[in-house]
Amino acid sequence: MAKIKREHMQIIDTIDNYEAAIDKAAAPLLKDGYITHDYIKQMKDSIEEHGTYIVLADYFALPHARPSEAVKANGLSLLVVREGVDLKGNDIRLFIVLAAKDSTTHMETLQSLAEFLMDKQNIHDVINAQSKEHIEQILDERW
Amino acid sequence: MKILAVCGFGVGSSMILKMTIQKALKAVGKEGEVVNTTISDAASYKADAIFTSPDFVGDLEGRVKAKLYPVKKYSDLDEVKGQVEKMIEEIE
Repeated sequence: MAKIKREHMQIIDTIDNYEAAIDKAAAPLLKDGYITHDYIKQMKDSIEEHGTYIVLADYFALPHARPSEAVKANGLSLLVVREGVDLKGNDIRLFIVLAAKDSTTHMETLQSLAEFLMDKQNIHDVINAQSKEHIEQILDERW
Repeated sequence: MKILAVCGFGVGSSMILKMTIQKALKAVGKEGEVVNTTISDAASYKADAIFTSPDFVGDLEGRVKAKLYPVKKYSDLDEVKGQVEKMIEEIE
């Protein structure tokens, strides 16, 4: 099964700031009813409150917030910003938004995501992918 | 050895950090139990070491007995391995 649906992936060249990038990255999950506006606000508030530990690797961030009523269904969405955007001193080019209804159901997906992220080449290849189809292929093969 | 991986919500980042610590332990040939949790629950666990972001280290200092090891990028295996090696030196 696909980890991230193709319609939940976006590739853009530039964006003004990281707040706009999180809005953009989360938009498909909002549109399809996985999350509410509150969840997007919570993801941004978390960065103010807790700092930038969602930057898990060079060029990569995993915006997410606490499981809550603001999450209606478990889901992931992906945004590539080809020219990168600053997240408090970090150059971020790949965002994966995590929406989790609770702390256990996403475990397997996250465990394999962790393995995927530890290989820097994987992040590099997703950022430089030519199309969503290509990203899908990389995720299918290696995540 | 019991290690805590700590983040804000205990759902995403700390799970990733836990996996990276486990991989780093394996790489250096050490055994250890790794549990992930939230910053608000971290003090209620008994642990030998706590891995968390530099921002949270200040929060936990003085509140926990465990040694604190800051990690900036939770899935950076080289960074985590460096801290795991430091921990083994200091704790064992």
